[in-house]
Amino acid sequence: MMHISNQKGTKPRFSSAEATSKSIAYRTISFLANFRGITALIAVFLLGVILSPRLPENNLPIFLTWRAQSDILFEYAEYGILATGMTLVILAGGIDLSVGSVLGFAATLFSLLMIGFGWSAPAAIVVTLMAGAVMGLVNGCLVARFRMQSFVATLAMMVAARGAAKLISEGIKVQPAAKPWYALQANTPPIFEWMTTRIPVLGLQPITIIFLINILVMLAVVRYTRFGRQLYAIGGNEEAARLSGIRTGLTKVYAFTLCATMAAVAGISNATRLDLGDPEAGATYELDAIAAVVIGGTSLMGGQGGMFFTLIGTLIIGFINKILSLRAVPEHYRLLAKGAIIVAAVLIQQKKQFSK
Amino acid sequence: MRRYCVYLIMVLALIPAFAAMNGCSKKRANTKYVIGMSQCNLGEPWRVQMNADIKAAADKHPELKVLFTDASNNTSTQQAQVREFITQAVDLIIISPKESRPLTKPVAEAIDTGIPVIVLDRKVEGDKYTCFIGADNVKIGREAGKYMVKLLAGKGKVVELKGLMTSTPGQERHEGFMQGIKGSQIEIIFSADCHWLEPDAQREMKSALSRFPQIDAVYAHNDPSAHGAWKAAQMEGKGREKSIKFIGIDALPHEGVRYVKDGILSATFQYPTGGAEAIDIALKILKGEKVPKNVTLGTRIFTKDNVGKGGEPL
Repeated sequence: MMHISNQKGTKPRFSSAEATSKSIAYRTISFLANFRGITALIAVFLLGVILSPRLPENNLPIFLTWRAQSDILFEYAEYGILATGMTLVILAGGIDLSVGSVLGFAATLFSLLMIGFGWSAPAAIVVTLMAGAVMGLVNGCLVARFRMQSFVATLAMMVAARGAAKLISEGIKVQPAAKPWYALQANTPPIFEWMTTRIPVLGLQPITIIFLINILVMLAVVRYTRFGRQLYAIGGNEEAARLSGIRTGLTKVYAFTLCATMAAVAGISNATRLDLGDPEAGATYELDAIAAVVIGGTSLMGGQGGMFFTLIGTLIIGFINKILSLRAVPEHYRLLAKGAIIVAAVLIQQKKQFSK
Repeated sequence: MRRYCVYLIMVLALIPAFAAMNGCSKKRANTKYVIGMSQCNLGEPWRVQMNADIKAAADKHPELKVLFTDASNNTSTQQAQVREFITQAVDLIIISPKESRPLTKPVAEAIDTGIPVIVLDRKVEGDKYTCFIGADNVKIGREAGKYMVKLLAGKGKVVELKGLMTSTPGQERHEGFMQGIKGSQIEIIFSADCHWLEPDAQREMKSALSRFPQIDAVYAHNDPSAHGAWKAAQMEGKGREKSIKFIGIDALPHEGVRYVKDGILSATFQYPTGGAEAIDIALKILKGEKVPKNVTLGTRIFTKDNVGKGGEPL
């Protein structure tokens, strides 16, 4: 289904003679190239089935159960939401290091509004998302208007957002009764439980559903809208994009704003999942989000890749971590395995480029 | 030109902000002693609590003024902070070092210039300090193990959610626990390194839950991990959080102690910050009294029965 996404990259991948005839060969190769990502995913899945411990009662691999699979989606939903936003920024040739801190700030703010001030859920959600959007807007303006490199601008936001989270929470986790003046002293509001409880028919938690809907919507946005195509154009060659009439600055501001808003969504998910707002939440999550994007096969140079890759990347990371966790593998082997997986994924990605 | 104007406005806007930040330290009229407190990382709730304990204890003595600094988990920042205190000629330094060896020299310099130093939680090398106050993680782990034996009547399947196992507290809490359950029929069926972090603990617990239909108890090296494990069990929606017993460590008032009150944890063991004790000892030193070189703090157990009374010393 993804075979056309490669066409959107502005970097020419074929000599002009080949490119003019968009032959069946082109489509087949592109299709197989995308198939490589899915193949890797299936390989990791099968590895999981083989290595998984089995249930004592019926000898079924635990990894194969719906429960383990839905747990993976649930546990990696936050990373997935972050990675979705990160993909938009990376496609446009940028990077956003602030998502982890924005997540922490949003988790703290959301909890503080609901538990501390006793706000209703819709109001708290709207204000939190807006706060996230403003942070993204600042990132975008620093990059687009003040011509800062995105690495530097978002590094500053990463530090500042963490500071803001600690400021509003006074450095302690926001949970009922943490402060005598908090409106709620006994339990967290019902939305905290609702967000993490499986919806009967689907068997998935709202957090998981938000992640899946979000990434599917963004998949369509990146592939079918002008905004999506502009991201690829800017990531491929910003100057060329500008000269062809794209308002590159504005598009980048949109990308950063969407990215930080998604980080705020992930922050709300984090708060409801932990049942508290931790100002330290999300530390180093930005690296995991970038890893998910890169493992999927989106290029850090921008202009190449897509949202479907990010979904694959997130699932690969989720699968691997679940296998390691189910087998209770000691920490040092886990880190070694994760490092090896990143290298393997990037090598596969390079091979893809050679093969063309 | 316009851009410079924007920068100028931004800089000008920062001035009142910084002024406001300084405004927190009110000057007291009858201050006799100035104490410099160097905290290694206020990112950790337990250290926030240590500072709060120091502040609460110092506020009872109007003759004391405490200058708080936070090294934000950076060793060289903390070295600089100690040297700044020496330059400022404070009357006493309290330090909770990030690392032992790199901070040994700055502390020794303070002692050499005649400023007494109280070292909290982590030791410095050698004996150039005035007093060390710390708790015993092995003992706390052992008490947790003994309590676990009592709780499960000597037999059961336990999940251990460890703290960062490359850190001394993580190793000692594990070691102590193993000593505590020695000779009983308690079996650790699953263990994982959760780096002291609640999300990691939740994730590992989910794996344990899906693998083992029978889990009797969870021993977590800190309260947030225990809470994360409880939440993972609750999310199952089968009431497993009620059949599994959870034990944590640290007992911060707004974390572990509250979880015990709410019936989430069966017990939590206090890892005392030593903040209040540090001020007591500081006053003795400043008045010229003799103080012991090493103070080992005891632990307190908080259970449903005694949480109202503020726990029981062990």
